[in-house]
Amino acid sequence: MMVAQREGADGAEQREVKGGVGSKSLPSLSYLQRWGASMLPTLPVLNVTILRNVVLEPIVPYLRYLSWQEGFNAACTFGGYDLVLQDAVGGAPGLLNESTDCVLVFLRLETLSPQLAFGFAGLSAETARQEVQRIREAVVATIAGIRRQTSAMILWHSFELPLYPALGTIDGQRPGEGQTGAVRELNDAVADALHQTRNAFLVDLNRCLARVGADDFYDARYWHAAKAPYTLQALREIAFEDMKYVRALKGRARKCLVLDCDGVLWGGTIGEDGLAGIRLGTAFPGSAFLEFQQEILNLHHRGVLIALCSKNNAEDVWAVFDQHPDMALRRAHIAGARINWTDKATNLKEIARELNIGLDSLVMLDDSAFEVNLIQEFLPEVTVIGLPAGRPSDYRSILAGCGLFDTLTLSVEDRARGALYQIEAARRQVQSESGDMESYLRSLEMALDIRITDDFALPRVAQLTQKTNQFNLTTRRYSDEDIRRLQERDDADVVYLRYRDRFGDAGIVGVCILLYAGETVAFDSFLLSCRVLGRGVERAFLAQCLARAAKRGAVSAIGEYRSTAKNAQVREFYASSGFSAVRDESQGDRYRIDLVDAPPAGDVFRIETDLV
Amino acid sequence: MRQRVLRIVSDVLGEPIDQLNDGSSPDTVDKWDSLNHMNLVLALEEAFGVQFTDDQIMKLLSVEAIVKALAEVVPATDDAAG
Repeated sequence: MMVAQREGADGAEQREVKGGVGSKSLPSLSYLQRWGASMLPTLPVLNVTILRNVVLEPIVPYLRYLSWQEGFNAACTFGGYDLVLQDAVGGAPGLLNESTDCVLVFLRLETLSPQLAFGFAGLSAETARQEVQRIREAVVATIAGIRRQTSAMILWHSFELPLYPALGTIDGQRPGEGQTGAVRELNDAVADALHQTRNAFLVDLNRCLARVGADDFYDARYWHAAKAPYTLQALREIAFEDMKYVRALKGRARKCLVLDCDGVLWGGTIGEDGLAGIRLGTAFPGSAFLEFQQEILNLHHRGVLIALCSKNNAEDVWAVFDQHPDMALRRAHIAGARINWTDKATNLKEIARELNIGLDSLVMLDDSAFEVNLIQEFLPEVTVIGLPAGRPSDYRSILAGCGLFDTLTLSVEDRARGALYQIEAARRQVQSESGDMESYLRSLEMALDIRITDDFALPRVAQLTQKTNQFNLTTRRYSDEDIRRLQERDDADVVYLRYRDRFGDAGIVGVCILLYAGETVAFDSFLLSCRVLGRGVERAFLAQCLARAAKRGAVSAIGEYRSTAKNAQVREFYASSGFSAVRDESQGDRYRIDLVDAPPAGDVFRIETDLV
Repeated sequence: MRQRVLRIVSDVLGEPIDQLNDGSSPDTVDKWDSLNHMNLVLALEEAFGVQFTDDQIMKLLSVEAIVKALAEVVPATDDAAG
């Protein structure tokens, strides 16, 4: 985890954070209050609005700290106490507007319906039903009201199940009955309403509650003294949970898990203990490692790349992968590996380069404090999690709980990504065999599908604008909702590119957004996943988009390059594609081309398109 | 302990420590409102590892009162540490 070193944090607090994982690793409240005052104001602002019917102001330092770890300066604004419905339905432009990034909603049943929360046993079935219906309508109206005012992500915090339900042991014995049944029904209704609303998600407070434990989650003194039901521990856990969604929204979900081997994937040292001597299997103590591997596999199936970085003899490690009967993780799951005696900082840089992702997309897991420190020192962009020496039984929950890989959607491309990288390795093999580039490219039998974005492609198109960093000319991030609005505009084309070749289908890997004004078309966005670079796809895609613009009556096109920390490789893209630089623009680099001069798409691709 | 209390009050209220003294209270410090009072109580409990009683929470309305209340609940830990 990133530590507060930029802020000159005092040593004790810093040690507390270093290598820590989960909400428990957050610093103390008084430390964060002090730290907050010195926070760098230069980071991009993340506007968070909190609508609530309880007091939870102390959550702010945690939200700000966790946002800072991801490179954002969170500005948190609270709606008035118990004014959620008024703010949502009546309108509150100061709280909910188009610059809002995220709306956190905390509607607690104890305030919303004291009847259901405290007096349930005295309610007739009919009264209880009416009250549930009243709350359900309020929830639906609130969600719709928020959405009318802003397209920001909505994070709705579920109702908590009663710890001691009103009817005691018989409460909820029959599904749907009792106080338990009423709360479950309300949570289902919330989930339904959120599911039908774009960019709106349920945060399950019952899971936060279970992780922390009720005694440490609630403090009745604060509830009575200040209408503040949650302890600091609870607020830490809730902020940590909320941050998983924010991280995904802002394109900061990590893409690759890099694993050390000895002491991480199995117990013992393969070089010394040998295949039969390492601890791995269904029986203790090897079972902890097996469970951990199963969690790694879950991430693989969610589209996270798995890589190895280990100081070892490569053949020893691969022997475990290929021959050990109890390995859940196999060679086929590994997208890249550096198994040698070189320092891990160098190896991690190579892994990032090979997989075409940034260092800040990597999460390294290591059980050696030395390696953890070295990586934190030399590659602060990499997130390093130090696994606790001697506690492999905790590895699984540490990985599952880190939340760094969470996404808001799971596309077909995500689920198949691990396989795609193996296909890429096969392509490189052909390249080294076929010698010259031209015949290599032809041997790939590449086909491009270039089309106007429809509803099926929309989530992936939005996802690409959020996640693509390197081959991205303007790095404009768009939500599903933003893309939908662009789709509906007459003066815009949202174009996607799908790539396949004889090794397989890479899915949707490119996006171009064209904005028309008179006889000019502007390239608002132009991006490609790095997986398909180095074979002329970008030129062909550009040519097709220019042809589309010509067909719609444009005579010239403007390309724009907005510099970021990661997109230097495309600085000259337009200049090298026949565009000439426009000098008199003050904002960013702009390039212009007359469409009659537009370059052809080339003939190494089979192109299918509905653009022209 | 007094020094730690002043430090925490300063951190939570965002008031320079040299502007605070034993008599500092919601009447003398603008930012010491009811919400910040909540934050202050939470931060004190976390820092000293204690839990105030319901009555104490209502009475922690000056630096002096906080030090006094803490002395009632933490002497054992201070002795042990010494």
